[in-house]
Amino acid sequence: MTTTQAPATHAPPGTRRRGSLEPYLYLLPHAALFFMFTVYPIGYGLYISLHRWDLLNNTQTFVGTEFFRNLFTSGTPQFEFFWRTLWNTTFFTLVSVPLLVAAALGLAALLHRPIFGRTFFRAVFFMPGILTVSVMGILWRWMFDNQIGLVNAARDLMTGAPPIAWLSTEGLAWVPIVVGTIWWTVGFNMTLYLAAMSNIPHSLYEAAALDGATGTQQFRFITWPMLTPITLFVVITTALASFQLFGQSLVITNGGPTRSTQSVIQYITEEGFTNSQISSAAAMGFVFGLMMLVLTAAQFRLMARDVQSAEEK
Amino acid sequence: MTTVPPEGAPVRAQPPRRRRLPREWPRFLVLCLLSLLFLAPVYWMISTSFKTEADAIASPVQWWPAHPTLENYRAVLTSPDGNILRWTWNSLFVALTFTVLHVALCALTAYPLARMRFPGRNAWFWFILSSLMIPGIVTLVPTYIMMLNFGWINSFHALIWPGISGVFGVFLLRQFFVGIPRELEEAARLDGAGNFQILWRIILPLSVPSLVTLAVFAFMGSWNNYLWPLYTVTDVDKMTLPVGITTFSQRYTTEYGKLMAATTLAAVPALVAYLIAQRFLEAGLSTTGLKE
Repeated sequence: MTTTQAPATHAPPGTRRRGSLEPYLYLLPHAALFFMFTVYPIGYGLYISLHRWDLLNNTQTFVGTEFFRNLFTSGTPQFEFFWRTLWNTTFFTLVSVPLLVAAALGLAALLHRPIFGRTFFRAVFFMPGILTVSVMGILWRWMFDNQIGLVNAARDLMTGAPPIAWLSTEGLAWVPIVVGTIWWTVGFNMTLYLAAMSNIPHSLYEAAALDGATGTQQFRFITWPMLTPITLFVVITTALASFQLFGQSLVITNGGPTRSTQSVIQYITEEGFTNSQISSAAAMGFVFGLMMLVLTAAQFRLMARDVQSAEEK
Repeated sequence: MTTVPPEGAPVRAQPPRRRRLPREWPRFLVLCLLSLLFLAPVYWMISTSFKTEADAIASPVQWWPAHPTLENYRAVLTSPDGNILRWTWNSLFVALTFTVLHVALCALTAYPLARMRFPGRNAWFWFILSSLMIPGIVTLVPTYIMMLNFGWINSFHALIWPGISGVFGVFLLRQFFVGIPRELEEAARLDGAGNFQILWRIILPLSVPSLVTLAVFAFMGSWNNYLWPLYTVTDVDKMTLPVGITTFSQRYTTEYGKLMAATTLAAVPALVAYLIAQRFLEAGLSTTGLKE
């Protein structure tokens, strides 16, 4: 490499010593805050979870792994609700991820080739995502309102069927949450897919068209295989986001009826901030965090590959 | 964007596309129907916000306000239970402060990681990058206790500082800085420019697209943050918009006109910002760390 010699040749004497310290000065502000708000809290959280933390008296008693063991001992409320809400969240993820990926891919396929009003359509599908989760939640809670919601009204208008109690029926209460979430976030994945599709060489399609391939065949044999890496990325990031379910179910159903839509994060915050069981919540945060680490590691691998490719340039 | 015509075919791009339209009508129709579905909730929100309470819950539904009124907006803006304008201002202040500090911090950190040689550079880069793997839930409770200890509960400090050292921005900017040609930097160095001048005069001006992308992400992230402000800020006057609007909705759960006026008001800043930043946002999305 030629660049390694450049500083030695051009740098006047004296700057070499200063230069050796300078990079660290640039790194310092971020590093200080990084240690304070990322590294330290991890250790502090472990410390908290091994003690019984009393917020009122500010006293802590060492209890070892009691709060972790609670999570794996049947009969404790922590055991019951932690695993129940974790299952709720998993259920939401299993339902919403395939829908979100398929819908995003479908919209992108519809919008990929030029069509009148393309920019407008893109904007329409992307726009809901800019609303905050509370606006989105209030809106969909009302759309699915048991009595006068628009969904029930439309059903009445089309079929004359009696209203359905979406929000207060176990099982059905997931419908507004899933539908709202798709409406809210599908544009994001659609945009990723559109970007990936525009990177597929045109010559492939031209060759296929010459061979008489139909649009469907072109999608199946060219578009879909070429999109595998991005699909992997979209599935992982969407699953990660779905496991973070919090605001949608909190605002739309408040976790009800009878905790059937409560997310694990909502339960952890309830345990910590409403019931003041700080240490128990910290322990749950660790356990749930460890589970998420597996998914995050997969995402990290995809990103690391990207770093490497940039490095090689 | 893809609207730039390929070389050699600048003028001919228009007519064939128009001629193709009739053949594409099924796709166009599907898109129109889907758009209607996507826009319906927003239309419903806005139209209800102009309805009287009786009209809002009328059956059969009223697609258009029969007796349009601004009463809901007046009631919401003067509500004694919380000031929507105040919440908007709080959100704006927090998000802007966060964005400026975060982008500056990330640029300062990304610069040596991308353009200088020093012992430990790669080790540090991978160390901070690995923190991206730590799920936020792990630090939620300890950070909350730290805020208590600092006396930062019910203060904007709690909303600004804990996320400021986020690492994704460092990664994003470093990737961009790495790609800037060495020659520009070396020419400036021959003219006697120091490292900071090179960062300020050469690297940053060339990186405006990625800086804007990062700023938009940071701003949106802070603006939309819900969980953390929900628990760290409980004073009505200090709430951010997403939190304030839900307390409002809990209080007015059956007054649909007011509720929809409040959500419409809460949605407006985001909609306006989106219309302004649309190009950056989608362009940024499609280039961010995704080069498959």
